[in-house]
Amino acid sequence: MSLLHVDDVTMQFGGLTAVNKVDFRVERGQIFSVIGPNGAGKTTVFNAITGVYEPTEGIILIDGRPGMRPVTPRTILGIALVGVLTAAGFTIALNLESMWNAAISANYIYKQPFAWGKAIGDALGHLRSAPATLTLLPAIAGLLIGVAGATSVWRRSRRSPDVVARQGVARTFQNPRVFHQMTVLENVLVGMDTKLRTRFWHAACRLGFKHEHCSSVEKAMAMLRFVELEDEAGAAASCLSYGHQRRLEIARALASEPKLLLLDEPAAGMNPSESVDLMELIRKIRDRGIAVVLIEHHMNLVMGVSDRIAVLDYGNKIAEGTPDEIQACPKVRKAYLGTDLD
Amino acid sequence: MPAGGIRRILVLRAGWILLAIALVLPVFDSFLPREFQFAGLMRPIFILAILGLGLNVVTGYTGLLNLGLAAFMAIGAYSYGILTCDIYPYQLSFWTALPLTICIGATAGIVLGLPTIRLRGDYLAIVTLGLGEIMQDTLKNLDGITQGTQGINPLPAPRLFNYQFSPENWIPWYYLLLAILAVVVLFCRNLEHSRVGRSWIAIREDEIAATCMGINPVKVKLLAFSVGAELAAMSGGLWAAYLGSTGEPGNYDFQISIIALCMVIIGGMGNISGVLLGAVVMIGFNSILLVKVTTILAQKGLIDTQNVITVPSNWKYMVFGFALILTMRFKPEGLLPSRQIKAELHEMDEDRRALKKKAGTK
Repeated sequence: MSLLHVDDVTMQFGGLTAVNKVDFRVERGQIFSVIGPNGAGKTTVFNAITGVYEPTEGIILIDGRPGMRPVTPRTILGIALVGVLTAAGFTIALNLESMWNAAISANYIYKQPFAWGKAIGDALGHLRSAPATLTLLPAIAGLLIGVAGATSVWRRSRRSPDVVARQGVARTFQNPRVFHQMTVLENVLVGMDTKLRTRFWHAACRLGFKHEHCSSVEKAMAMLRFVELEDEAGAAASCLSYGHQRRLEIARALASEPKLLLLDEPAAGMNPSESVDLMELIRKIRDRGIAVVLIEHHMNLVMGVSDRIAVLDYGNKIAEGTPDEIQACPKVRKAYLGTDLD
Repeated sequence: MPAGGIRRILVLRAGWILLAIALVLPVFDSFLPREFQFAGLMRPIFILAILGLGLNVVTGYTGLLNLGLAAFMAIGAYSYGILTCDIYPYQLSFWTALPLTICIGATAGIVLGLPTIRLRGDYLAIVTLGLGEIMQDTLKNLDGITQGTQGINPLPAPRLFNYQFSPENWIPWYYLLLAILAVVVLFCRNLEHSRVGRSWIAIREDEIAATCMGINPVKVKLLAFSVGAELAAMSGGLWAAYLGSTGEPGNYDFQISIIALCMVIIGGMGNISGVLLGAVVMIGFNSILLVKVTTILAQKGLIDTQNVITVPSNWKYMVFGFALILTMRFKPEGLLPSRQIKAELHEMDEDRRALKKKAGTK
């Protein structure tokens, strides 16, 4: 089973077909490049893989599993709970004041002890004697609205980037999207979020918090050392240069310990010596056992580092193969240069 | 260098400095002439600072514009009123009613947040704005439960061990509210520097990038919304306890939400000390400075209290407006510098340390 399985994926936006029946496979430990002229649909493929878009057609499997929230007993229980609570909420909202009068105002005499059992009995008795339009009807309506709403919301959020990320896919963006107002170190710590176990109350009261905090900072520093940014750890991310922001994005993505890393034009705006360093970095990432999918325009980099290459043009995959095969392919030349050179 | 050093200390230790000042203030205050004493009027600042901190979690950290915070303050005040007042059968003490109020606030935040939290930007602001208005009308019209426009009163004053708080003696109130505020500040600070706070800020900075890092945006936003509601409910409960009455529902109107927003913006979004400073500036101006100036001027016979224009306390909204405009124009990040500048200051630290190390090895 290959690590990433993109099978006949089509993405349509209204009448525009941005990606048309693209398929490819990425194996473990492979560096796979997706190239093509501007507007060929490369980034759209990335967005479909990471769950930012839901493909119009086709299947994307990560490690043999679709990148979707699974249907578990908890999901069904949650939806049922929302339905029941909405039903109860509707009924109580309609009868709140009369129930209060029957249960509390009628039973409470100023500063006298209060009979709780009788009050609860009176409240239920009041509900039972109330007309069905005020009790049964809102309960049924609430149940239907609650279940329908919860189901549709769940259905829509089923394919979401965070689900895909938790399956071990990390990515960077075409324009670096670091968290500007956070420090470099904090950026990497955000990337580690899925691996951390601190819960809300632990964080708020600092209980059993220190150990995980220290070890996560240590790991984050190791990650920054890996991309050679450790000297900037305390600086605000907005102070970094463009190239450093790209490295930070890579460190942040690696911090989530992914199986698959998607790099969207990592060398854009880099000078030749920086892109040689980047090539080295990508190889080092591969040596850690992480498969890399790369979108790139720098052909030296792509040809130097890739194990396999797929070429997209106007949303169609026109070729796939090793760097040598791609360089020899006439269709690719035509897509890039417009005419046959022969 | 000394000037930079002082600025550094002010920025990095602002919270401790404010706490120290607040602790000795009543002592200092007792030496002032009677008409200038103001420490007793500080109590609303502490209560509304908690409201500001709640908004800071929602708007400052997570970037969700919540214009209906007053609704949660009203929920808190009325929950506290119903739980403690002797016209209802519950009659709990301050110390049990307050945690319950907080729980009710948090639950209300989750229930009202669930259907709305997926809205983005301005849409969420409009929905929360509507929420604030609906809550006032609901409380006014449920007069069988909430006593309508009369408000719930009298509420009993809290009791600590064997000491009974009273409205006449303000000093115990002052320290009680200060202590609660300190706990809330600590709570917010711990959250800010933990995984939870980082995911809030990441969502504010770039939602798509944060989601692609595995953060579930709905969960994180809902948590922030509910923490904001919880702190607002807490401040509402304290407000009711401090006044001995919930006041009428109209007290929890849009102005409260806007004043909280002004505190956060003027003080510095996403910065706890900034919000505290914003509370001191805004509420201090409103309920201390203007009140004092008005009474002193009236005593000296300089103004006619019947004349609407000459009474300084009638100028407050104009001054608030100007303050907001000036802040936006000259210091859009707020009076106290944000995290970014803090980070730069830390960087200076590290550079200096590195230089020293180098000098040492040579």
